[in-house]
Amino acid sequence: MRTVRKLFYGGAASALLLATSIAQADVTVLGWPGGPEETALRAATEIYNARSEVAEDDKVKLIFFSRDGFFDKLQADLAAGTDAFDANLLATYSIGRYAPYMTPVSLSGDAADVFGESVLKTMQFDGKQYGVPTDLSLHFLYYRTDLIEELLADESAAAKYGDISEKHLGVRLEPKSPDDWTWQDFAANALYFSKSVNPDSPTRYGTVLQLKNLLFNIMVFHSLPRSYGADWMDADGNITVDSDAYREALKMYKILVEAGATPKDSFSYEYAEANSAFGSGQVAAMIQWNAAAADLTDTEKTPVTADVTKTIAPPTGPDGRFTHVHGLGLGVNANGKNPDGAKAFIEWLSTEDAAKAYALAGGATGLTSSVVSDIANERPDLVPLGEYASNYGFVMNGGTSAKALSVYELQAKEFTDYLSGGKSLDEALSATKDGMADLLN
Amino acid sequence: MTRSTENRILATPLVLFLLVMLGFPTILDIIYSFSEVSFENLRSPTFNGGRNYISILNDPEFWSASWFSMKFGLATAFAECILGLVLAVYLAPIIRKNTWMIAVLIMPMMIAPAMMGLMYRLLLHEFVGALPHYMFYWLGDSPAFLSRENVFTTVFTIETLQWTPFAFLLFFMAYEAIPGEMREAAAVDGARGLRMFWHIEMPMMLPTIAVAFFVRFIDGFRVFDNIFVLTGAGAGGATTSLSIYIYLSFFRSGEIGNAIAASVILFCVSFLALFFAGRLLRRSGA
Repeated sequence: MRTVRKLFYGGAASALLLATSIAQADVTVLGWPGGPEETALRAATEIYNARSEVAEDDKVKLIFFSRDGFFDKLQADLAAGTDAFDANLLATYSIGRYAPYMTPVSLSGDAADVFGESVLKTMQFDGKQYGVPTDLSLHFLYYRTDLIEELLADESAAAKYGDISEKHLGVRLEPKSPDDWTWQDFAANALYFSKSVNPDSPTRYGTVLQLKNLLFNIMVFHSLPRSYGADWMDADGNITVDSDAYREALKMYKILVEAGATPKDSFSYEYAEANSAFGSGQVAAMIQWNAAAADLTDTEKTPVTADVTKTIAPPTGPDGRFTHVHGLGLGVNANGKNPDGAKAFIEWLSTEDAAKAYALAGGATGLTSSVVSDIANERPDLVPLGEYASNYGFVMNGGTSAKALSVYELQAKEFTDYLSGGKSLDEALSATKDGMADLLN
Repeated sequence: MTRSTENRILATPLVLFLLVMLGFPTILDIIYSFSEVSFENLRSPTFNGGRNYISILNDPEFWSASWFSMKFGLATAFAECILGLVLAVYLAPIIRKNTWMIAVLIMPMMIAPAMMGLMYRLLLHEFVGALPHYMFYWLGDSPAFLSRENVFTTVFTIETLQWTPFAFLLFFMAYEAIPGEMREAAAVDGARGLRMFWHIEMPMMLPTIAVAFFVRFIDGFRVFDNIFVLTGAGAGGATTSLSIYIYLSFFRSGEIGNAIAASVILFCVSFLALFFAGRLLRRSGA
């Protein structure tokens, strides 16, 4: 009986505590569930709620739901005019879908100095700021230092390297340090380290291309055409996907596929498969998401290559060095119950202190070099992230529109059709152009 | 209370349940299939006549997905029935003495198709999969199982391996249900081996074979899980079945009206096919 009474009082106390906390928390924020993003948001929220200037009515409560179909569920909720949350997650490529149900936000005065313009751009649509950037995804070039050192030290290897590049790429190239690579050097290196081209290669493949018909794989591809000047649309809204830049990039991928410089089953490869290939020690270099760096440089998780794996920004092209960048962030639901409270929270998140706190708690925040230097000891991985995002990050013109995801889907289908031999380059680009015109105009 | 009134009262809850659970979505689907509808206007779709149907029927991808599903459904149903029949007849004497073997043979059916896709994604991966590993080890090379050229054969093989046990189980039951006297009588008349099979056993198993073929064809035609997990829509849409096409139109492209129009067409075609198949079976005395 005593136990039952104890349980009753305990339960009542917990319920009261929960009810009190709910009553106090009048800004409800829907975050990205699981992983470091949730941990970081929880930590930042705790700091925000503890601030004396935050009114009781503006304290923040977090809610999460499953990642499965997150963006579709969010869209259905927002379209239905939900007031279940005041602020919600945003992603660069889906801002346009949500913009009709969201309110533009004002960030703190020093937001540009904290994040940099290119990072802020990941949360903009139609020239308006819809959210504060919290986490970034971009691309690194992953390469094997042991292979490169050996190649650079061997003169006979350099001659062979030149022969191979001349034969396949039409230009005689010399081995270089990856930091000086153009995309042609990347391709030449991939060919040299492929057994199908160079039977003496220590690796089976020179690179691993993620060619599954999947929108995220097209994001990985985009850094290449962009460095040749590619964009989705020009300033007048004309679709420019059939440009020379896209043609050059697709042809380069095709050369690598046909020469056997990427695994045979690359058309079923995405993030995980590419990591497995690289981690097996049979691939010399690859372009991959920054998220893979932690695993690929961890000797326990990737024992074969972690010690000799290094990351830098993707290679350069005639128009410069670029990396696709997209971000996660938080914006304000126009139908929320407390939009002012939500705006205040988002404005605070864009301050230097809040951004640092978020990053220290595990977030992958893109910070400018002056800000990230303060936390470089604790988060050394954020140094290149912010630097690459600021210096090389880009978002295609139309990349945050309502149909951006469908454009990626379309390109994934048409480009893989060309690369796998189903269509000619002209056919694939023409179909992509027509489809993009329907989606973006 | 008369018997018929009693029957009606007892059936009412079930009928109501079916009306709500099946009738409502069906009506909504039909409305949506004739409307301009997206996630933004789910509650207020705009009637657009038969534009979704015209758009679907003019979409080459719809026809290509339909062709893939048809080809896949027929090929897998055929292969599963042949293999299932061979296994059932060949193994029948052994299984009669060792009935536990049935449990082992039907094991693949216990695995969810999505898990099967995931399993093969690992098994066929060049760097972590067992199959390519041993092929490299023994033969010095391994084929590209999921390349555009080989992917149909690969997904066909995976589906056939998983569902042949279903056909085998049905055929084994039908084979065992043939009365012993029939075989004895045929044996007295001099029928042996293949002759006995073609003229006595096979005709008696034919109705079961037809049912198994239709069930497997329908399952193959609507394939989704294992292919989607393994290759997605495939390079250039090479492995886009009709179900994958509908899924992509609905969730990825947000073309809800088109996706539902395609599913209504699929429903009508399936209904007609089953209706005529049923009539055919009844006529043949199955």
